[in-house]
Amino acid sequence: MLDAYVTALGMVLDPYVLFVITASAIYGLVVGCIPGLSATMATALLVPLTFFMPPVPAIAAIVTTSTMAIFSGDIPGCLLRIPGTPASAAYVDDSYQMTLKGKPELALGIGLWFSVLGGLFGTAVMMVASPAIADFALGFGSVEFFWIVMLGLGGAVFIGSSTPLKACISLLIGLLIAMVGMNNPAGQPRFTFESTEMLGGVSLIPMMVGMFACSEVMRHMVSDGSAPHAVVQKIGPIFANMWRLTKQYPWQLIRGSALGTIIGIQPGSGADMAAWMSYAMSKRFSKEPEKFGTGHPEGLIEAGASNNSSLAGAWIPALVFGIPGDSITAIAIGVLMMKNMAPGPTIFVNNPENVYAVFLVFVIANLLMLPLGWAIIKIATRVLSVPRRVLMPIILLFAIVGSYAINNSLFDVGVMLAFGVLAFVLEESDFPVAPVILGVVLGPLLEEYFINSMIKSDGRLIGLVDRPIAAVLAAITIGIIGWTVIASLRGDKPSRQPAQG
Amino acid sequence: MKFNDLFGGLVFLALAGLVAFASWNLPNPSQQPLGPSAFPLILSGLLALCAAILAVGGARATQGGPLIGLADWARSGSALARLLLVPAAVIFYMLFAETLGFLVCAPLILVVLFLAGGTKPLLAIGLSLAAALVIHSIFYLALGVQLPWGPLEPLRW
Repeated sequence: MLDAYVTALGMVLDPYVLFVITASAIYGLVVGCIPGLSATMATALLVPLTFFMPPVPAIAAIVTTSTMAIFSGDIPGCLLRIPGTPASAAYVDDSYQMTLKGKPELALGIGLWFSVLGGLFGTAVMMVASPAIADFALGFGSVEFFWIVMLGLGGAVFIGSSTPLKACISLLIGLLIAMVGMNNPAGQPRFTFESTEMLGGVSLIPMMVGMFACSEVMRHMVSDGSAPHAVVQKIGPIFANMWRLTKQYPWQLIRGSALGTIIGIQPGSGADMAAWMSYAMSKRFSKEPEKFGTGHPEGLIEAGASNNSSLAGAWIPALVFGIPGDSITAIAIGVLMMKNMAPGPTIFVNNPENVYAVFLVFVIANLLMLPLGWAIIKIATRVLSVPRRVLMPIILLFAIVGSYAINNSLFDVGVMLAFGVLAFVLEESDFPVAPVILGVVLGPLLEEYFINSMIKSDGRLIGLVDRPIAAVLAAITIGIIGWTVIASLRGDKPSRQPAQG
Repeated sequence: MKFNDLFGGLVFLALAGLVAFASWNLPNPSQQPLGPSAFPLILSGLLALCAAILAVGGARATQGGPLIGLADWARSGSALARLLLVPAAVIFYMLFAETLGFLVCAPLILVVLFLAGGTKPLLAIGLSLAAALVIHSIFYLALGVQLPWGPLEPLRW
């Protein structure tokens, strides 16, 4: 294991990889900072570029961009009361109140410092837990994997969503899209409409770019694009009080990081839910709950650590089982598959150095966040005033060229547009988009596991549950689905914010 | 364009039917107990179930109201026109990129979109030329992607 870490360190400290990490860090920080450009969009736009990179820098670019964008989403929340990413929405009131009291540097400092600590905590858990889980999962057969994928999808639809029925339909659409092409156990062309371009299935990159970038551009077109104005222009020393706050609120830091990691691991819920739940928990256990929402640091610390630690947590099921927890890890898994690094327990045996390289990138990205995050905060008021009506057309052009670039194919540009329109119409009608991408990424695997399991048991359904681990996983999955169905029949409306981004 | 749940449910019900129809007779050359049609059939069944529940719930909520609700922006002609500019720009690129070349096509698209967003004309022209050149450099020079040159072929660098 130590040898593999040394090899991994050599891979990551390559000048080209370090350049990619630094460039993606700056890119992620700037995009996350601009309200209306989400972390998911930042990641999706980067995917066509990663197509041209070797595996390690490609993954490094995705990891670094998403980590940075989740942190810098705090900045517009603090200065404008507009969260840059959904993950920052939970504590936007507290941080904006601090700004109104003339202490924006305190809110932003907490966001930065405790994001880094939370991110490092989540990374440490990931480094210890995922090889152990992978070791355990080596004995799994197609039946167990079938249920793990079902559990992941079930969690995404029934836990991570406020409208389970619509999320379910979104998921089924994604699974059906995954059926297109010859990539199925029988090797038969399905739903290809006699078109040769469709034989390989719907190309993943143009689809992701369309769903997360083109649709955002369309949404911008129908909103009023006026540039928001920051109330403060001057930001004081950022790290001034951080050590004192760390000593004052150690439990909040640990609790937020731990809960965030767990929520990240649990499929279907990501950084935004981690922040909401940690903020609520902090208020519940606080000695001064009445101060929450008025510019009190406690909730900021706990939720700020939580959303960054969940990011690393989400990578545990992604690396060990290939199950994405949210749309960003779905994109990341798509990139891993594209680079012939299909995740799963065997990757820890066959290419441990690649996995350890991912771990090290997380560590580097979180450490790099300190200086670069400091810099972006210092110039934040200027970044915030970049008008979106100038950015959006450039993003559209980038989406067109990025989709075209991977195969030099105008057909792929059409795919990008089609999925952009689909995502726009779905979101306008309150259908969540994240389950579509989860379905597309996991569809071929789910079918393969299902068909293989059924062939092994001669087509009898009992074959799906006659092994102990499979039976337990099946019981949990059915329990989650059944509980949600019963709750909705009794008319309980989940009051949580919808998961998005 | 906000689809009412009844309308959405009916659309997805029709989609489920089409998928089931299209996958019913897929050949199964390897004679396995479950061939290539099994999984799409299961999915279309589940989709039909969900869509039916959605449609029933939508029908109760609608009570004869409009099937396609219009969001506020859809009533304003200018917002609708700006929205339609996005697909129009992409389709324009697909149709004319080969004949006009990237360096003509891309600035044209950008200028129109900038002007529609209210950017001042001179700034729009300058920005679109600069942005097109930067994107061209990223993909053509750094990544080696062959973007179409069109009539500018003699200028290829």
